[in-house]
Amino acid sequence: MSADSVITVRDLHVNFWISGAGIFSIKDVVMSMGRQKALEKKLVLKGLNLEIKRGECFALMGKNGSGKSTLLRTLAGIITPESGSIEIKGSVAPLLTIGAGLENELSGYENIKIVGTLIGMRGKELKDAVAVIKDFSELSHDDLNMQIKRYSAGMMARLAFSISVCRIPDILIVDEALSVGDQGFQVKCADRINEMKAAGTTIIYVSHSLAELKRICTRGACLEDGKIAKVGPIDEVGEYYSQSFK
Amino acid sequence: MILFKIKNLFHLVYTIALKNIKVKYKNSVLGFMWSMLHPLAYLVIFIFVFSNVFVGIDRYPLFALIGLVFWTYFANSMTQIINSIISNASIIKTIALPNILFPMSAAFAEFVTMLLSLIPFFVLMLFFGLKITWITLLIFPAIILFGLFTFGLATFLATFNVFFRDVGILWNTLAPALFYFTPIAFLSTMIPDKYMVYVKLNPLYHYMELVRDILYYNQLPGTTTLFITTGLALAMFVLGILVFNRYKKGFVSNL
Repeated sequence: MSADSVITVRDLHVNFWISGAGIFSIKDVVMSMGRQKALEKKLVLKGLNLEIKRGECFALMGKNGSGKSTLLRTLAGIITPESGSIEIKGSVAPLLTIGAGLENELSGYENIKIVGTLIGMRGKELKDAVAVIKDFSELSHDDLNMQIKRYSAGMMARLAFSISVCRIPDILIVDEALSVGDQGFQVKCADRINEMKAAGTTIIYVSHSLAELKRICTRGACLEDGKIAKVGPIDEVGEYYSQSFK
Repeated sequence: MILFKIKNLFHLVYTIALKNIKVKYKNSVLGFMWSMLHPLAYLVIFIFVFSNVFVGIDRYPLFALIGLVFWTYFANSMTQIINSIISNASIIKTIALPNILFPMSAAFAEFVTMLLSLIPFFVLMLFFGLKITWITLLIFPAIILFGLFTFGLATFLATFNVFFRDVGILWNTLAPALFYFTPIAFLSTMIPDKYMVYVKLNPLYHYMELVRDILYYNQLPGTTTLFITTGLALAMFVLGILVFNRYKKGFVSNL
């Protein structure tokens, strides 16, 4: 691992465990006395190598099902790999699905406390975060006291996104999460990402919008069938990705 | 995986458990009271239906109440823990947390609910003729044994429920049968000898004996009962954790 890299992935293999659906498969397992397995493993990432440097904004491209989300989840520590190694220096903040962990029946404030705790904030840090989130989301005190099931989709997205970005992490993982809220909020989100970038945060960005990737990122990689097919400057990888559809 | 300190883990368990309790009772007027009203409703039914059938049982309301309180705890814990992974799917798929948190939180929420409900139930038990001596205190270690057993069994089933949702459905289907198969409304001595061997295969039978010995008969539990309940609790707890850890890798791709 070279000194300036924050993420080093070597020969990464990740499996999905697929269970046969329905009672018939259990019957089959029992009938075959365990020779037939109830759970089949399907290799999704097949020996992936990747190195991402400190402070860079790295783009991930690839067709649907090529393993982008799985790679992000593995980097975020959500999926345990089958084999291979991952070295990560610093804290990782994943922005994978908007609204994860939000509980419809509870108020905005209660949700901030719960999700904040889940992503690792405690005590004073959490208390301060409430103010930052309130400010960033532009939700009023009344809004935040309301059960979030009464929120509009945009308000929900504002709350969720604000919780996710209230801390400046060492590494930010973004999975097409920026297209939330109204136009004003989208600009704000982009600003916040730039702010993090300026503060030295390494960003891994997944998107299908080449224009957006080119605007934000300097380097990137294209995934094909669980492996890195191409890695390099954003223009080259973008060109390679576009060509793959022809 | 990041190594979480025990304190941090407990803080997370507490946060999720509190959330579960809040959500469960948020839109109900009586809220937490329901966890007491449920066994009480059954008690009333039992007294009406069975008091005349089981005339031989001394202090029948006390006898039935003890069984019902612990059955309610067991049944609720099983349901909540078995579904704990599936119902927290969105968190598990987006935030890196030790997955065992979710069964632990469900277990903790139900355990606290049971402990709190014991306070009014003790008053009611006194009214029904409960005798309090130093033996009564043994109910606390007994509850812990029962809790460990329940947690282990449910965590074991929760693991497989992620891959085969049949497990949760099967539990919902079999729970009422298990209720009548366990001596809750009736004395175990009423079971004919030839069926006794099957009844003893039911782990709940032994835990019912344990809590009844302490609260109802006010005597030290028998050595066999103690041996079986302690052994089962430890074995089930370890098995549950081992199986959970063995298969947790497959959770994200099946949620």
